[in-house]
Amino acid sequence: MTLAGTIWQRELVEFAQRRRALVIKLAFPLVFGIPLVFAAPPLYAAISLTMLIAIIGSLGAGAVLTRERQSGLTLRYRTLPVTPGRLLIERLSTSAVIDLLQVTPVLVLIALRQPSQFAWWPALVLSTAAVLLIGNLAGAVASTLSDSPGEVMLYVFIPLLPLLYLSGVFTPLTQPALLAISRLLPFSYLHESVLGALGGQPNLLPWETLLGGFGFLVGAAGLTGRLGRRVLESD
Amino acid sequence: MKADTASEPSALAATGLTRTYRGGKGVFDITLKLAAGEVMGLMGPNGSGKTTLLRILATAATPTAGQVRWFGNANPHDPSVRRRLGVMLDQPAHFDKMTGYQNAWFFARQFGLSEQLARDRLDELFHWSGLWDAREQLVGEYSLGMKRKLNLVEALVHRPSILLLDEPTLALDYRAELDLIERLQLLSLTGTAVVLATNDVHLAERLCDYVIFLHDGRLIREGHVPQLLTEVAGSKEVQLQLNSPISLESLRALPAVEAANVEGDTVHIILARGANPAQVLAVLNGTADMVSTMRVRRPNLGDVFLKLTGVALPGAR
Repeated sequence: MTLAGTIWQRELVEFAQRRRALVIKLAFPLVFGIPLVFAAPPLYAAISLTMLIAIIGSLGAGAVLTRERQSGLTLRYRTLPVTPGRLLIERLSTSAVIDLLQVTPVLVLIALRQPSQFAWWPALVLSTAAVLLIGNLAGAVASTLSDSPGEVMLYVFIPLLPLLYLSGVFTPLTQPALLAISRLLPFSYLHESVLGALGGQPNLLPWETLLGGFGFLVGAAGLTGRLGRRVLESD
Repeated sequence: MKADTASEPSALAATGLTRTYRGGKGVFDITLKLAAGEVMGLMGPNGSGKTTLLRILATAATPTAGQVRWFGNANPHDPSVRRRLGVMLDQPAHFDKMTGYQNAWFFARQFGLSEQLARDRLDELFHWSGLWDAREQLVGEYSLGMKRKLNLVEALVHRPSILLLDEPTLALDYRAELDLIERLQLLSLTGTAVVLATNDVHLAERLCDYVIFLHDGRLIREGHVPQLLTEVAGSKEVQLQLNSPISLESLRALPAVEAANVEGDTVHIILARGANPAQVLAVLNGTADMVSTMRVRRPNLGDVFLKLTGVALPGAR
């Protein structure tokens, strides 16, 4: 029996103990990833993989937090001698790490498909991590508005699709204003890095994408800490 | 309730606590104080605000007005406050995909216990609660009573200075209830302040020094248990089963009798304040063999509440 004394350890232990869920969680990105990486043109593969990663990030924590709110666990968290900010950071970062493990096989496939594009790999990993953490945070915020995991999906998808469009994921953006907006959204950096790693023709250089991904990762971590009370202590 | 002293603030002090919900429910303007070692009962019918009040005192809910101080500290988010609280909420929420021991271990470690201390205390508490054999079972497979016992273990493991328990005997078997009462008495003797939200009259009478009655979210009466029983519930009730009829008028004329009524062959007598059942028996002695059985029922906290609100507590009699 593995014992977990911290919040992040507990998340990992529970995840590891759910064997069937673990297998499904790790297998399903591959089901999408294999045909996309090896058969689709880089532009379409980059669109689909960016959407896949954004969705994986948004659903995990949101659904879990909604269930915990319903069961009364959130109330119990409020009585722990841990600040809500720290608690949310630990939970969401662990959830994002688990999500990153889930998409790692797909990232490995991308690397295997185009080994010559290794300059994009650090940017790809960092922007993926940023999108996963932001997705988890969006799901956590959505959980405060929802009574069921289904509702969380609704509240997450309503803003996600327009944001993906504004990030230039679906169509290349040419207008300067739209281009500027896209640089304020994390999905654009993920999209650019996936496209670059797949051998496509991105608009940014690897180091620019790396910087963007890093900035969003740090920003998301800071925002998570600040939103702790809002997410975990709202009635 | 003991008064604060300069050197020793109350374990718990709340002033003007209000928490309103949509629809007008909640708690309104509650003031209370609890010293170390005292046991306070929160009583009232369903929906009276007991759980809301307990959640505020446990830092799980925020009041819309008023303030709570835990050992003089008014910040509910301060980890040093929460470390001194042991909380059992109404919902026995756990991580269902983890074992009972894994759950309890997680909470014990969150409260800062070292691995060795957590292991020692959990082993003792799992034996005490009767959960030892089920410690490696998933909590999702536990019965309600087992989940509530696990909640108790988790509330007690870090030896809190204030214990806040919502319906602690709900779903517990009789043996577990007796063990809990004994443990809480011991904890109280060693200085732990205890707040119990309960409708269990016997539990409250055995444990509580002080009781607060809530109705529609408001504090309608408070006091020490003997004081409440005397002042509010008042008189003893005598039930006599008779072999032959008796004149009610003659009974009602007795100074020791406040009221008398007949149901079949049973006479219910409410004794006047300070009167003794023997005074009634002395009169009936003149008619030998008239009384086949006699039962004296002392007033309980259920009677107090009935008198205060007209609402009977579930299972009060």
